Amino acid sequence: MAKALKILASILLIGSTSLFAQDASSLKIVIEPDPVEVKVGDELQLKATLMTEDGEALPDTLLFYSRNGRDLEVSRSGLVKANKPGTYSAIVLRSGPRDQRVIKQFEINVPYPPIAKVEFVDVPENIYSKTTIDLNVHVIDAMDLIRENPDLKISSDNQSVAMVSHGKLVAQKPGKAKITAESEGKKATLNVTVKQNPTASITIGNTETEVRTGDVITFDAKALGNNDKEVDAPITYSYTAQPDDNLGQGAEGQVSQNGKFVANKPGIFTLTARSGDVFEEQIVRVKDRNVQQDIEVVGHGEVLDVHTSDLWVWEGVDGRDYAITGTWGASGDAYFWDVTDPANITPIDTVRVDARTVNDVKISEDGTIGVITREGASNRKNGMVVLDVSNPRDVKVLSEYNEGLTGGVHNAFIYEDHVYAVNNGRRYDIINIEDPENPQTVGRFELDTPGHSIHDVWIEDGIAYSSNWSDGVVAVDIGAQEGEMGTAGGSPENPVQLGSYAYPSGWNHAAFPFKSKSTGNFYVIAGDEAFPNGLPSRSNPVAAAGWIHFIKFDGWDQPTEVARYQVPEAGTHNFWVVDDLLFVAYYNAGLRIVDISGELMGNLYDQGREIAKFEPTHPDALVPNAPFTWGPQPYKGHIFISDWNSGLWAIKLVDKPQQGTN
Amino acid sequence: MSFKRALFALCVGVFLFWGTSNSYAQDYYVYVAAESDDEVHLVHFDGETQKGEIAETIRVGTWPQENEGPHGLTVSPDGEHWFVSIAHGMPYGKLWKFETGTNEFIGEVELGLFPASMDISSTTGLLYVVNFNLHGDMEPSTVSVVEPESMTRLSDIETGIMPHGSRINSSGTRQYHVSMMTDELIEIDTEALEVQRKLKLSGKKMSGKMSADMDHSGMNHGEMMHKPVEKPTWADPHPTKPLVYVAANGSDEVLEINTNKWEVTKRWKTGKAPYNLEVSHDGKLLVVTYKGEGATGVWDLSSGKELAKIKNSRKVSHGVAISTDNNYAFISVEGIGGEPGSVDIINLKTLERVDIVETGKQAGGIIFWKQEG
Repeated sequence: MAKALKILASILLIGSTSLFAQDASSLKIVIEPDPVEVKVGDELQLKATLMTEDGEALPDTLLFYSRNGRDLEVSRSGLVKANKPGTYSAIVLRSGPRDQRVIKQFEINVPYPPIAKVEFVDVPENIYSKTTIDLNVHVIDAMDLIRENPDLKISSDNQSVAMVSHGKLVAQKPGKAKITAESEGKKATLNVTVKQNPTASITIGNTETEVRTGDVITFDAKALGNNDKEVDAPITYSYTAQPDDNLGQGAEGQVSQNGKFVANKPGIFTLTARSGDVFEEQIVRVKDRNVQQDIEVVGHGEVLDVHTSDLWVWEGVDGRDYAITGTWGASGDAYFWDVTDPANITPIDTVRVDARTVNDVKISEDGTIGVITREGASNRKNGMVVLDVSNPRDVKVLSEYNEGLTGGVHNAFIYEDHVYAVNNGRRYDIINIEDPENPQTVGRFELDTPGHSIHDVWIEDGIAYSSNWSDGVVAVDIGAQEGEMGTAGGSPENPVQLGSYAYPSGWNHAAFPFKSKSTGNFYVIAGDEAFPNGLPSRSNPVAAAGWIHFIKFDGWDQPTEVARYQVPEAGTHNFWVVDDLLFVAYYNAGLRIVDISGELMGNLYDQGREIAKFEPTHPDALVPNAPFTWGPQPYKGHIFISDWNSGLWAIKLVDKPQQGTN
Repeated sequence: MSFKRALFALCVGVFLFWGTSNSYAQDYYVYVAAESDDEVHLVHFDGETQKGEIAETIRVGTWPQENEGPHGLTVSPDGEHWFVSIAHGMPYGKLWKFETGTNEFIGEVELGLFPASMDISSTTGLLYVVNFNLHGDMEPSTVSVVEPESMTRLSDIETGIMPHGSRINSSGTRQYHVSMMTDELIEIDTEALEVQRKLKLSGKKMSGKMSADMDHSGMNHGEMMHKPVEKPTWADPHPTKPLVYVAANGSDEVLEINTNKWEVTKRWKTGKAPYNLEVSHDGKLLVVTYKGEGATGVWDLSSGKELAKIKNSRKVSHGVAISTDNNYAFISVEGIGGEPGSVDIINLKTLERVDIVETGKQAGGIIFWKQEG
């Protein structure tokens, strides 16, 4: 018995030894040097020691890891190499089971290189009294990089001649002043001579003094000297306004310093062009744009059990009109409809493929070939499916094509016997379907920017306009004809980039070219997709965000974002332009139809340019009584739209009774 | 009392203790991802009634109009957190972290292209997730290493083409995955964060520490001829022996690799297209999903015999998770198109399917969380 108890005691002792092993929480890691600082381009060997509470150094091996290995490299043994200034976090680890593991997080400071020089740039040749100019200063460090957000002080030694405030120089009166810009002890000096403003008078060339909200006025102002000759004195533009009523809201508008003005609300506007003490005013009467029309709901092809994705409407080879719609997160179906009578939208066929989502549906120009995209194939080979739609009542699968497209095709476009298939968000593949039973990939286009991603592509006149999230819209010549914008000799086999434009949000989801019928201006219209407010659901149907961006191209290398159409508390999806009308599927805000005639500036939503809206809902929809409009297509006097929750709709614009003319 | 009697009593006590804790376990919990519905389900299985149910569904992803594809799952060694890889992004996928039980979202970190299966080292505490890169071009991908407390990506270790099946040995020192399109088993040193060895599964042994030092920049991988035979899709190390088992999806085999010899020591012909596999925690059984025939095989590792092939509830069998008491295997089954996915629950004692729990579409990644009772 005693022997047995001894054995038992031994077992318990072994157990307790394990229980009372070194408590990792009492250990600490000491890093040397402390603090850690490394200059850009330099290397530093760190030393880490595991210490007990009593200050005893333990011999354990400690491993280092960087939390940002690109900008700050740290080897497992603690050799640090700094590639970029900043404050970085690293960890050092004694590995082992959780109760034995010791981790220390510490910071490594990589100081910015010292400032090497400060310089003024883009200084105008002449600075005139009573004018204001922007002071542009570059702060450049020892690595010849321009420092962003530097600690910069700008001062004037003669405030009565040239006052400096918030980065602007206000020229007060003729005379001389020394302007000094200083950052981290480095200085630049600009000797300014303020000249007498030569402006004797200002003329405003604009003759449009009765306009509508949204109409852009160009001041066409000139500063003239005593001899009535134009001088180079800068002109600033402003306005005051008086609304037509006294109901609390002012007559607001927008003026740009390149001499453009647009009014959002009706009223009397006084436009002012000023240079020095000289100014000229022009009174402009702005009336309501008055373009609103009514919507008539013509027909509804109900899809209430699954989500509906994209649509395409076309004239079949038999002269009747047809539509195809995709389904989302369902069984891989594409639905075909006879829409010859939009009041009687009739389902006529269904094609089911191995997929969960048929996101995009497109029909060839001659109405014989269809392409549907696949996501969620059971064999994980997604790609696209080519269809014979010459008889939409009996659609045939001609081929399934997934060569290099296994990750999934989200969107596609058919143009001149080629399919432009967005390949798993990375690029678009260009696939020849002249023999639709044997598609062949002949080209591809992919950006080379870090982390690039693409969502959609649309083609007109031999130019592919892709939407690329943070890389914005990109125009690519895939066989463009000669035109005023120029070409680059591209082809489907050799796509060549023409131009691009990105905007800060990174929400670019769709793109559509727009040649303004009324002005001849060329825009690429970019649409957002964003869900910063959480996922829409039965309990949160209103969740989208984003707007439409109007990017004016004066040549492929001169894009300027000039206007937007932004519905508050809603978000855009797909859109379409015909003539000077914009049709926007605005998700939770339904369909919006917008007058985009004339020059564009500011937020078109605020300018009364919205012609009509339609919010498709159905009490038995997947999300009941809530619009979530996916895409529009104007077609033969009607507007067809697909709604994620409720299916296919046909509507049309009708005049408002007793409405005034514009 | 004699020594023998005392020892006997001690053994009986120990037996009763373990027996009680095993035999009367009632509640089992697994997480399973529904890849085409952007959902993760917590599945509860009652060992007494032999019935399973979805205890909770957790929505994942941030884009309602994009299927973001939750793919791989793991639970932290302490059971307090679960992690899911989100396969699709713009273009990169992510790792999301949740608290078990409450299923509250904790944080996320961006990974590589199509992050998939993952595991956490019991030694380093770091998480190793393969970037499967199911994107068409045949190019080397990476294994991302994440510090899971702060959800910080520490490193991307270059590896083979379409890596999959990240599992770590019981000592936490080696991570194993396979390179599907180069027919390789790859071993990573979990501390050094380097590829330690590569093994050509067709038989050729490759030198160690090659990937990290290789310069692939000049290679045109798109034009390189890769003709995988085994197309391995999963690797799982034995809990106590120096063995790793690999699902050879292309050759309908399970391979046994001896990590001491670093060579394939056994090849067992299996059902069609073995996809995932898991060794039971006692090291006795191997459960293998046969993706190509909608079935699951249960193998006796000592004899190398398939004990049973159990038909799954639908097509496209996917993942395996075995309960810690080795009594049950939970099999995720994807299904096709709009049909729901499922978790098939197999009693590993009777070798019979005891229940089916229907899930969202394309049930894929699956991980055992805990058992209670």
